[in-house]
Amino acid sequence: MSLSDTATPAASAAQPPRTPSASAVTKELVAKAGATRRRNAAKWKLRIGAVCTLIVIIPILLAQVLPLPDANHQDLSARRLAPLVDGHLFGTDQLGRDLLSRVLHGGQVSLTIGILAVVVSGAIGIILGAAAGYFGGWVDTVVSRVLEAQMSLPLLMMLLLVVALFGPSIPVITFVIAIAQWPEVARLTRSMVLVEREKPYVSAARILGLHRIQILIQHIIPNVIKQATLVVLLLLAQAVLLESALSFLGAGPQRPFATWGRIISDGQDYITTSWWMVTLPGLVIVLMVVGVNLLGDGLRDRPRRKKKGA
Amino acid sequence: MTKYILKRLGQGLLTVFLTVSTVFILIRLAPGDPAVSYAGPLATTEQLAKVREQFGLDRPLLEQYWIFLQQLFTGNLGTSYSFQAPAMQVVAERMPYTLTLATASILLTAVVAIPLGVWMARRPDTNRELGVNVLTIAGQSMPDFWTGIMLLTGFAVLIPLFPASGFATWGGLVLPTVTIATLQIALISRMVRREMTSNFAAPYLTVARSRGVGSPALTWRYAMGNSAIPVFTALGTRFAAMLNGVVVVEVVFAWPGVGSLIVRALETRDYPLIQATVLLTALLAVAVQLVIDLAYPLLDPRVRLGKAAAA
Repeated sequence: MSLSDTATPAASAAQPPRTPSASAVTKELVAKAGATRRRNAAKWKLRIGAVCTLIVIIPILLAQVLPLPDANHQDLSARRLAPLVDGHLFGTDQLGRDLLSRVLHGGQVSLTIGILAVVVSGAIGIILGAAAGYFGGWVDTVVSRVLEAQMSLPLLMMLLLVVALFGPSIPVITFVIAIAQWPEVARLTRSMVLVEREKPYVSAARILGLHRIQILIQHIIPNVIKQATLVVLLLLAQAVLLESALSFLGAGPQRPFATWGRIISDGQDYITTSWWMVTLPGLVIVLMVVGVNLLGDGLRDRPRRKKKGA
Repeated sequence: MTKYILKRLGQGLLTVFLTVSTVFILIRLAPGDPAVSYAGPLATTEQLAKVREQFGLDRPLLEQYWIFLQQLFTGNLGTSYSFQAPAMQVVAERMPYTLTLATASILLTAVVAIPLGVWMARRPDTNRELGVNVLTIAGQSMPDFWTGIMLLTGFAVLIPLFPASGFATWGGLVLPTVTIATLQIALISRMVRREMTSNFAAPYLTVARSRGVGSPALTWRYAMGNSAIPVFTALGTRFAAMLNGVVVVEVVFAWPGVGSLIVRALETRDYPLIQATVLLTALLAVAVQLVIDLAYPLLDPRVRLGKAAAA
């Protein structure tokens, strides 16, 4: 997977000509050039992505501050109120709890799990992937075999099994998602380190007498970490989805945590009479995941600025 | 060639064996007593002990594993606790449903995703392409259970076009297939786009164009010819993964397949059933992977299987 795709030769052509009068390259041609379009597309993806993500994340962060009813406050006289009735923006659920409040507080749990899982899987993936790529030999063999084995396992089933085994607590679910996701980071890091390893600066560092681990940590990893973190951002989107799927199947964090998947699976029974109980939480997930995915995509496609002396 | 197939078969069987063994150990480490879920909450201690003896659960773990290995080689994994029928038979009865769903989904995905990806690759980063691109991102961002419930509400409850659950008529296949395909189309079409854009920028395509090869041939014979292997691999891998049970979608639509079976088996701690499901699905997935690998030379004459294995 080449992350910095094909437009590199055209990138220089897209630079506005320094002496416009002397050049045959008009502004219209520049605007039509592949690289310009690419930059614009990346810009729009970043913008839309940022808006979608912030619309969801800011209220979630402020859930405690916003004037909302308590997420677990039941009011049986106000059961299944439609959205916008009695000041319930998202309506209420079958026990009269404010749906918006539940979605926001649930979002805190879902997001915490997602972020923790991604940090753990990113760390495992980068360390193991870099070690496999740099040291080669038996380290590479072991890591690659484990990667392959995990790919051939029925993933969701294994996750359900492990959750059944250790109980659906937040650390277990975080760990399970991290385990599901580290191969992607590891594979990418490994392939990038394989390329970096052959570059002159590594030989130079070796000749200077640096230890192999020092070369890897101080010189190689800083050169690949940026691209690896981009993948991690995309994994955050997947982690949120995976957590909601587990919750939906009943293997999510148990009560009193109302995570997104659980809210939807609770509302499923009332779908014919109270559409909002499933639709609205789902839309919040979609908005958030679309936002994160667009951000990741846009950052990846954005033409990288050349560093001085690079 | 034969040697290659044998080697791959050996590797595949080893993977299956390791998977099944891991599952054997994991489920026995798990809390929850299958005897309790079988005999019910009101059973006396003596009744529980009897149930355990009947299922061989009172024996040492190693002995249970030894019995399990013997069963594995005879292909009889014991009687399902909850179905009171041979576990393999229960799974085998469910398998065609999952196969049907997986096949329908992958066909729909291929038919839509490949042209869509090519369409996107031919006009990268134009406004229209950007719109479709954002749509595919949305497609891969929707939780599949939510998509399923939404489709269910829309096209089975509000507008009763299709049955809501089960597989009584062929109409029942439509909604689950569309649910699965939504995600897969998004993923595969983006992949086709990526492959095709890099092929469109490759020198061989410029050469072909300068020799006067027409646009359709450039797209489908030249660029697609070289994108075929990764695209085919992705489709095949997705298909193999679906055979392991499209768990969530099967649960949403009460589809009588392997995915909903495994959820039930895990809930009731039905050990033989869990093992039989894992064994059968893993075997099928390995077989599909092998078929994919064997098809490479058909897609790309440069591939020689024996050497591909060495590389």
